[in-house]
Amino acid sequence: MTAIEPESFGPPAAAIDNLVTGNVDGGGPSRGAIPGRARSERAIRVGAYAAMTAISLLFFIPFLWTVSTSLKTLPETAYFSLLPNHWSLQAYHDVWTKYDFARYIENSAGLSVAITLITLVVAGLGGYAFARLRFPGREILFFGVLATLMVPDQLRLVPVYEMLVKWHLINTYTGYVLIKLGLATSLFLMRQYFLTIPKDLEEAAKLDGAGYFKTFWRVMLPLAGPALAAVTILEFQGAWNDFFWASLLLQTPDHYTVQLGLAQFVFQYHTEWPKLMAASVIAILPIVAVYLVFQRYFVAGVASAGVKG
Amino acid sequence: MSAEAYRVRGGRPGRAREALVGYAFVLAPMAVFGVFFLFPIGYAIYISRYNWGVYGSQGSVGWHNYGWVLHDPIFWRSMRNIGEYTAWVVPAQMALGLFMAVIVNQKIKARTFFRSAFYFPSIASSAAITTIAIFILNADGLLNKALSLVGYDHHTPWFYTTTTAMPTIAGLNAWTTSGTMMLFYLASLQAIPNDVYEAAAIDGAGRWRTFWKVTFPLLKPGHFFVAVVSILGAVKLYDQAFIVSGGTGGPDYATLTPVLLLVQEAVQNIRFGYAAAMGVILLAFMVVLTLAQRLLFGRSEAA
Repeated sequence: MTAIEPESFGPPAAAIDNLVTGNVDGGGPSRGAIPGRARSERAIRVGAYAAMTAISLLFFIPFLWTVSTSLKTLPETAYFSLLPNHWSLQAYHDVWTKYDFARYIENSAGLSVAITLITLVVAGLGGYAFARLRFPGREILFFGVLATLMVPDQLRLVPVYEMLVKWHLINTYTGYVLIKLGLATSLFLMRQYFLTIPKDLEEAAKLDGAGYFKTFWRVMLPLAGPALAAVTILEFQGAWNDFFWASLLLQTPDHYTVQLGLAQFVFQYHTEWPKLMAASVIAILPIVAVYLVFQRYFVAGVASAGVKG
Repeated sequence: MSAEAYRVRGGRPGRAREALVGYAFVLAPMAVFGVFFLFPIGYAIYISRYNWGVYGSQGSVGWHNYGWVLHDPIFWRSMRNIGEYTAWVVPAQMALGLFMAVIVNQKIKARTFFRSAFYFPSIASSAAITTIAIFILNADGLLNKALSLVGYDHHTPWFYTTTTAMPTIAGLNAWTTSGTMMLFYLASLQAIPNDVYEAAAIDGAGRWRTFWKVTFPLLKPGHFFVAVVSILGAVKLYDQAFIVSGGTGGPDYATLTPVLLLVQEAVQNIRFGYAAAMGVILLAFMVVLTLAQRLLFGRSEAA
């Protein structure tokens, strides 16, 4: 039995690779070769479908209820009708124009895009260097990068906050972006992916006289599509959904992200349910759109984030 | 082969150049790590030994900040809260995550769809999820309405009752994060080779038996990993407690978590020294927890 025990702490690398390439449908217990199993086979299948449908419903009802409520008028929320009697976009209109959510969305989008782009460039270059270039101390430096994943934000909070106060970077976009550049997971992901690219292509580029940067930019980066997609999703989602650092560093309403705006909205308009639900939908919708388009890379991002431990 | 040839031709200057370019490429990430990760660890310990306010250090207090934290009943209240929360949320996340992973791992149609559906709550932001939960779990909300249909007719404000607040947040987070745990378990499940199942089938073991006697024990590395991720995540609880209580940790300290208390001390009361000491103590707790888990799982492996 020992021979088949996966050796390490955490999901094994091969499985992660499958997740990264989107090949998650490969495994699973295979059977059917054993006679007399067909009937129990069918029973299991029906049971599995029933369980999956039940869980899916449980998972989706709160979201359906949210969307439905956001389309109702306030008096109507007192009745538990599944669909609104009078469909109304008033709540969305109010939230967007009267309560500044247009501004919050703009802030969130700007910050998330900035963080994602900076990370792509920095983690891409760094990942390439750690995977391919040889320089003294490379392994130690890379180990250092991974070790930062062990530093929890609670420990970082006080010294980082104190530093930002000193540098007048509290309540600035610059300060927020600097703190949100986690990088380690993305760097790790890029490096692992570059390691899988055959060396021949680079060699060819070098023999053609391309420098290191050109080789990286023209040869390596275009080959790293899946890794870049995973990093994009990971960073964008992390920035868009962030509440912790945003609540600490962005302190005035003109700097609020959509998550902060939503929380403040909850504190102030406690029972304005249609508006609160409309604001929640607005806060979730962009991520849902990204999720639907890049689903398989989401899985890859999570799986690799898991590797770090 | 060609790599070596190239390097020999390039000679020593080529190698020095490669090293220089290498350092240049990793400069930015290393700077971020140095300034915002490595340095703050030492700086946190440094600050924790001072009475440190808005205007910086106001005199050394030695290690007294640590003593004051450890003698603060509110700190211990927050630790008890997080202990209670962890005791609820970790088993719930693990059980749900494993259950969903096993189901989704069956060879059936539409499992990609179901996997996505189960993972869906994990992508929504904590702020939006908490807002939705506040709506559904309020005194006149959907949950109480549903409960009244099965005979439990109370108007419990789930987040605003001291006894139910923490378990409710635990339930909320079990719902939203079990999809992530499912993915981790799925990766572990797919690492189990098919011949194991075939051997079990030839031995005449049924499904149920195969799962408990073969699959479950083989998932041990997965259990350990999910438990660590789940516990370390639980200890950091902040967003939901903040939004539910408006940042106060109420009602009556029921939702006050250590991180929320830390933020209150640092950002609202500007007691950096005290808050830094609390951060170091929390880190120590987390390290001990991780080591304890490793010991626990390590021992059962030897047995």
